[in-house]
Amino acid sequence: MKQNLARAFSVCALGATLAVGGAASADDTIVNNVRDRSIAYAVSGGHWGIYQTGDGKAECPDGLNDVGPRETFKMLFPDDGTKRSVVDTQLAREAAIWAPEDKEYKFPYHLAGGKVGLGLNLDGKVGPNDFTTPDGEKGIDNQLFRAMGCLRWLRGPDGIGYHFSDLYMKQFNYNRALIELTNVDSLADDPDVDVTIYRGLDSLMADATGAKTMPGGTQRIDAKFGQKFITHLKGKIVAGVLTTEPVKEMYWPFAWFGGNPGAQHILDMRMKLKLTQEAANGFIGGYENLEEWYYGLARGRSTHHLAYGSVSAPGVYQAIHKLADAYPDASGKNTAISMAWGTDLTQVFIQRRPQEVAAAPASAPSKSEPAGGRH
Amino acid sequence: MRVKSVLILTGLFLAAGLSASPAHAQYAKAGAKPAAVEREDFLPEPMPSGFQVIVNEVEGAVFADAAGRTLYKWPLKGLRNGDVGDRKNAPSNCNNEVYTENSGLQSPWPAGLKLPDAAVRKSCQELWPAVLAGGDAAPVGKWAIIARRDGTKQWAYDGYPLYISVLDKQPGDVIGGSNRRSRGDSPGVREPVGPNPNIPPAFAISQVASGRMLVNYAGYSVYAWDGDGPEKSNCTADCLVTWSPVLAAETSQPQGDWSIIQRSPGIRQWVFRKKPLYTYIADTRPRSLTGSDEPGWHNVYTQHAPAVPAEFTQQETHAGVVLADARGKTIYVYTCGDDALDQQACDHPASPQEYRILVCGGNDAARCLKTWPPVAAAKGAKAPSRAWTAIDIDPLTGRYAAAGQPGALHVWAYRGRPVYTFSSENPGDVDGDAWGEFYGARNGFKAFWLRDDFYTNAG
Repeated sequence: MKQNLARAFSVCALGATLAVGGAASADDTIVNNVRDRSIAYAVSGGHWGIYQTGDGKAECPDGLNDVGPRETFKMLFPDDGTKRSVVDTQLAREAAIWAPEDKEYKFPYHLAGGKVGLGLNLDGKVGPNDFTTPDGEKGIDNQLFRAMGCLRWLRGPDGIGYHFSDLYMKQFNYNRALIELTNVDSLADDPDVDVTIYRGLDSLMADATGAKTMPGGTQRIDAKFGQKFITHLKGKIVAGVLTTEPVKEMYWPFAWFGGNPGAQHILDMRMKLKLTQEAANGFIGGYENLEEWYYGLARGRSTHHLAYGSVSAPGVYQAIHKLADAYPDASGKNTAISMAWGTDLTQVFIQRRPQEVAAAPASAPSKSEPAGGRH
Repeated sequence: MRVKSVLILTGLFLAAGLSASPAHAQYAKAGAKPAAVEREDFLPEPMPSGFQVIVNEVEGAVFADAAGRTLYKWPLKGLRNGDVGDRKNAPSNCNNEVYTENSGLQSPWPAGLKLPDAAVRKSCQELWPAVLAGGDAAPVGKWAIIARRDGTKQWAYDGYPLYISVLDKQPGDVIGGSNRRSRGDSPGVREPVGPNPNIPPAFAISQVASGRMLVNYAGYSVYAWDGDGPEKSNCTADCLVTWSPVLAAETSQPQGDWSIIQRSPGIRQWVFRKKPLYTYIADTRPRSLTGSDEPGWHNVYTQHAPAVPAEFTQQETHAGVVLADARGKTIYVYTCGDDALDQQACDHPASPQEYRILVCGGNDAARCLKTWPPVAAAKGAKAPSRAWTAIDIDPLTGRYAAAGQPGALHVWAYRGRPVYTFSSENPGDVDGDAWGEFYGARNGFKAFWLRDDFYTNAG
């Protein structure tokens, strides 16, 4: 017993010693990855903010959507011996994707309901269409969940869209968003930290199985083609949770599919992440322009791939237009929809080239740190 | 070997090689700028009489018939619901059958639907005439004779039946097909056939947007440095931390444009056109252009891509570099293959336009023209190369305009196909990339990527 206590004390002492610069661990590890009052994380997974129960009945009382491209084709063009043309059938259905009509969708399309949802309170209000998180936070704005939440394609862990979105976040360096926190005094509580988003260039460090991403890898910043993604935010850490102030807009690297480089263009973007020394997890929230988001989906997933999950792109188009809740145009019609993107990040060290060091967002010396104490 | 002739298409080809456009020169950093004639050398091989080799500005050396018509093969390709093309050492699948219905090869759409051009559709054989062998023809080298199903004899090369394309109008044209890598869901394309390039076994040529680029045996780019002298490496000490000389085996011998220098006793380095060759330590993927971001370093090409129209520009995007028009708007290529077993093209002004008009304008040609306008060429614009030409098209049908047709559009075409911009974009945007069926690979638009640091869009 004495030995165990002694070991515990020595671990605590070691942890305190490692917490150079005043940074304290938000979890119970002795690892301290806060160096020079900075810590960085790289994207290692991601999925849309979709709340799910086991049987789906709470959030999808009308059931999951099961009318996708194949099903609509059969409904429109039954196998009754009629001779039809490619133009009037196949290409007409493709045209419905590429030139969708903003009018009532005539096929079954189930929206998510219920009161529970995931994401962030974007407008600071609690409205009638808002959700409440499973742990009781009210006012959650995530109408994209209402539009997409009953597509089995996006429901984890086995929905194809869910699976591949997560896989591609790991697999494709194009998607390698980095989040760097500077001026960090504590990962547990810090009222004022700086957050910078970059795109990294490197693959993630995996364990021996290749399946699990390991902290401690290195990432170079994409300073050549990644300028579009660089975004600065102010934030605070409370009880190990980082909350940032919103920025007017930002681009989050997001290739729905390999070979189709895209981006989520998020308006009023902010993030809320639970931080540890080894990982960060949480949501990016904001509003997506309807047309940009829709065509990102259409360009990112072919009709063939959407058909696997019974996803009707025209149905999605009309759902998001129906549920749009922000950025009204001159006629008062909303042009954007609230959303939440769940992101998983793993701690990395950013490896700056000599010419990038001067431009890096340096952390000021800690108040508890003697002048010249940064190293 | 009986008779062999070799034709180097000089004229326009030489002009392209000598005057790489600013757009291409910048992205490819052609510091490797061709000082004189830059053309790919090839290894001579036995050929039957009546054939020749032509060095094309895009494809390198290709075989052609006596009239200069390029020879193509149609290798088997797996599509979503079946295979198309020819099997090796088997009779041609391109015959006189006229398909009027689709074959359901591309999921999720079914078979049995009437094709847009059913009333006038030609057979595969009419569009891709077989290269027939005369009665006294005999196999030579890789050239063999395969019996067609109608009893005629057809030349085959390396086991694949050979064809010419009706799209090739001038001797040396390679409009019918390409050896550029195509995506998985692209049509079953025809590929020009040619002799092997004259390169040592430790190297290969990768046909990318910026030209025919040299890579090592594993597909990684090789580079040359301005700091080196002719057949002299000055890359020592710290330089070797970043750059790795491409070493030649003890038994390697100089050949054609290739020579070998000795860095130190027993350490031999490959040299191409008097430039010592290196690989870039930081390259993490094949066919990379990132080493050329280092000052003074360049990717190496047997021949650069042909010159583009003078007013074109290049734009950096969030994934790489694209070709752009004078305003900086990304240029797009439209690709289309239909869903019949013979995989006919629908991306050329001589082919059906219904596919394009449905994905670019919802079957509204006027909307299509507004959303995806073809890139206008100035009146009297001069073609900078064989690959880039100015053609006249009907604005609504997208087909060739009649001579003197009022309202016809004079537009730029790449390999005979009009190129487009996406009207809502600003310079550097690629929001139209992957627009259409199967990410733009089958019936849709792809940006004209010159460099892609993340995927294979540039080759």
